[in-house]
Amino acid sequence: MSKEEVVLRIGGAAGEGVQSAGSVVAKSFSRTGLSVMTYNYYQDIVRGGQSWYQVRASHNKVRSQGDGLDVLIALNMDALLRHTNPEINEGGASPLNGIAIFDTLLTGFKKQNNVTYCPVPLSEIAGKHSKVSLVRNTVAIGAAMASIGMSFDVVADVIRDQFGGKGDVADQNVSAAKDGYDYYNQNFKKLDKKLNFTNKKKYLLGGGEAVGLGAVNGGLRMYIGYPMTPASSALHYISSHAKDFNLFVKVPEDEISAINMAIGANYAGLRAMTGSSGGGFSLMVEALGMAGMLEIPLVVYEAQRSGPSTGLPTKTEQGDLNLVLGASQGDFPRIVLAPRNVYDAFLLTREAMNLAEKYQTPVIVMSDLYLAEHLETVDKFDFNFEIDHGLRAQDNMKNYKRYEYTESGISLRAIPGQPGLMHNEDSDEHSETGDVVSDAETDPKLRIAIMEKRMRKLNSYVKEMPPTDTYRLDDAEYAIVQWGSTQGVVEEAVDILRDKGIRAGAIEINRVFPLNPDIQDLLKNRKKIIVVENNYTGQFNRLLKSEFLVSTSLIRKFDGEAFYPGDLAEELEQEIKR
Amino acid sequence: MVTVGDFNGTVKPDWCPACGNFAQLSAIKAVLADLGIEPHNTVVVSGIGCSSNLPEFIRAYGFHGLHGRALPVASAVKWANPKLTVIAYGGDGDGFFEGTQHFYHTAKRNVDITYIVSDNQIFGLTTGQASPTSEIGFKSKTTPYGNIEETTNPLTFGLAAGATFVARGFSGDPKHLNEIIKRGIQHRGFSFIDVMSPCVTFNKLNTYDYFRKRVYKYEAKDLTDFSAAYKISQEWGDKIPIGIFYEKIERSYIDMDPVASQTPMIDIEPVKLDEKFVEEFL
Repeated sequence: MSKEEVVLRIGGAAGEGVQSAGSVVAKSFSRTGLSVMTYNYYQDIVRGGQSWYQVRASHNKVRSQGDGLDVLIALNMDALLRHTNPEINEGGASPLNGIAIFDTLLTGFKKQNNVTYCPVPLSEIAGKHSKVSLVRNTVAIGAAMASIGMSFDVVADVIRDQFGGKGDVADQNVSAAKDGYDYYNQNFKKLDKKLNFTNKKKYLLGGGEAVGLGAVNGGLRMYIGYPMTPASSALHYISSHAKDFNLFVKVPEDEISAINMAIGANYAGLRAMTGSSGGGFSLMVEALGMAGMLEIPLVVYEAQRSGPSTGLPTKTEQGDLNLVLGASQGDFPRIVLAPRNVYDAFLLTREAMNLAEKYQTPVIVMSDLYLAEHLETVDKFDFNFEIDHGLRAQDNMKNYKRYEYTESGISLRAIPGQPGLMHNEDSDEHSETGDVVSDAETDPKLRIAIMEKRMRKLNSYVKEMPPTDTYRLDDAEYAIVQWGSTQGVVEEAVDILRDKGIRAGAIEINRVFPLNPDIQDLLKNRKKIIVVENNYTGQFNRLLKSEFLVSTSLIRKFDGEAFYPGDLAEELEQEIKR
Repeated sequence: MVTVGDFNGTVKPDWCPACGNFAQLSAIKAVLADLGIEPHNTVVVSGIGCSSNLPEFIRAYGFHGLHGRALPVASAVKWANPKLTVIAYGGDGDGFFEGTQHFYHTAKRNVDITYIVSDNQIFGLTTGQASPTSEIGFKSKTTPYGNIEETTNPLTFGLAAGATFVARGFSGDPKHLNEIIKRGIQHRGFSFIDVMSPCVTFNKLNTYDYFRKRVYKYEAKDLTDFSAAYKISQEWGDKIPIGIFYEKIERSYIDMDPVASQTPMIDIEPVKLDEKFVEEFL
């Protein structure tokens, strides 16, 4: 493993402070200028079980949670045995090849090669500062950061921030961490790494927060959502900042209400958004089609988790694409975006707000648990963004027709309160003026005209799509096609293949529907096209094949965990050689 | 000066002649004109059903949405722009079957909208099936041996949910209906008006004659007396009370929202983001 990066993992039971310790570690890295990515492996329980939190950091850009493991903090015996076991196979996670930090109370276990055992009296030290269970994890953080050679001042600042500044709790945690830090330095050797720590802080945030921030930058005024993992990280961020961002935030009785409210607000001229995971989105389906029919702007955030049904609530998957593409009866224009990383989530959600209003139709931003809940560093935010409210009618304009046939398919919107533009917006099929045509006067010609008018909006959108992104594709014999959150891991797998002399490259899709026609050329003249996705049936693979009439191979993963670059490179190599 | 004519739409109602919905459409238009509310500041949101076609027939901002879903749309329109007068309108199937959860929570939230239900005790648009307000024993296409399910009492339910204005009208008494709807629209908070509205085509039990023999005008001694309102809401049979059962002034939902209570949402400019908004991530 490279000396220029470090992978650290904290293992323990839910309730032992795994996640809070992990975020302290991650933040210490991002504050010292390192590129960071985290991975959170947890279950749907509040106490007990086995969870772990992995942090990967480097002064080079890290694009996934990474392979290998340098430092393990084991908060109990199970974690110590599990992560040092060379046979570990928790969805692709690597066993420890480095330092294990654990409580001296843990004894009598079988030792593994490749592990340097560094017992630290975690409980004993913790007991000197506070209740053992409250600061034991902090003592371990201190020891781990010493093993990496991180300055203690950085760690102390992060701990203080985590515990709200200068109070007793913060002091207890800082002094506990210091004892752990000193104990490690007095008794053990540092890890052999060459990390360039600087004082150039990076931003560290998760995909859910990036979605919220992007929406606000895109003019969000109202967020209506119902809690569901993993869409809740966006809901929590937005709720806790309602006053800062001047937002109206509401958790109503169900997702059906949520989407109907978001539609109502947009109808009234206020940029509103709703969000959920697949289960909640399933309830929103009927109203999604209504927004398409009434031509009301709407952004829906759909954060996938493993399905079907309640599925694996705390596990990742890209299994909702068919649902999102087919959601609601009949045909209507929809735009589906799938951010590939945290900053992309910020940019695309922001763009979605404009696209929805410009094309007066639903835009779905698809994320997944992996993207929504892992933390990633961002160097800089570019907040420069112009809000485009699309085409609006002037007050009292003559002969106003809400759904006037136009070449672009886009008609002038009128907002309630505007004088002289009163009209009816109808979920029944309607004419240019909004009058219902489905009952007494059904008119096949009119139906064709209004249907084509609505669908033309997609043609207009396709014309303004930016070129599809690629990675090392120019001379590639093998095109790896990915969509959404797998971008980083696919790029790292491509690098591994390139190092072996295999000419692979990636096509990186974040605009999932409609697909950019430029992909046709990118797929041309490749020895093999391999689609990589986190689901069972290859939902995106089918879409790609039907759009571009190409034959492909498919690499899937549906165990609830994300891809790991080493494993993926191996699978790709086998597929290439097949 | 706003006139009833200002609310006349261009589309002729497609309801059966003598349908109870006509009286309600006339009442809504007359009351809006009477209160000087202009068509462009009026939003009428409906679900699906015969009565829910009403937004097509009134010159205002109309929103003809999904079965059972008028209330969340109407709530958000009001939250977005409280300067608008928002009326949610639909039938008994639309309100007390498909959308029951919205009725309960919208009432409890005291959203400042008026909810008028055209209660004909049957599904009309789908050509005559028993509805939540059909009486026990009522025969229909789906209950050929008679309805065996307990009848929903919308007024008791509205009271229990926390509606701050609860009333019953009758399409056969337009003058009285106008007065109730006027009071409902004037009420600041969630007003619920259940209107007995005979379906002349499919409901041969609950006819105009049926109601004319039974209805009487109820005058509450104290409109804020919840127990009295509950008691009168339970009365049904040989005598059927119409009138305002309950009215109480409470803060509406938006008065308590930390942001929207300060300035109407529609008038707030989006925040311009800069580095200080992301400092927490450093």
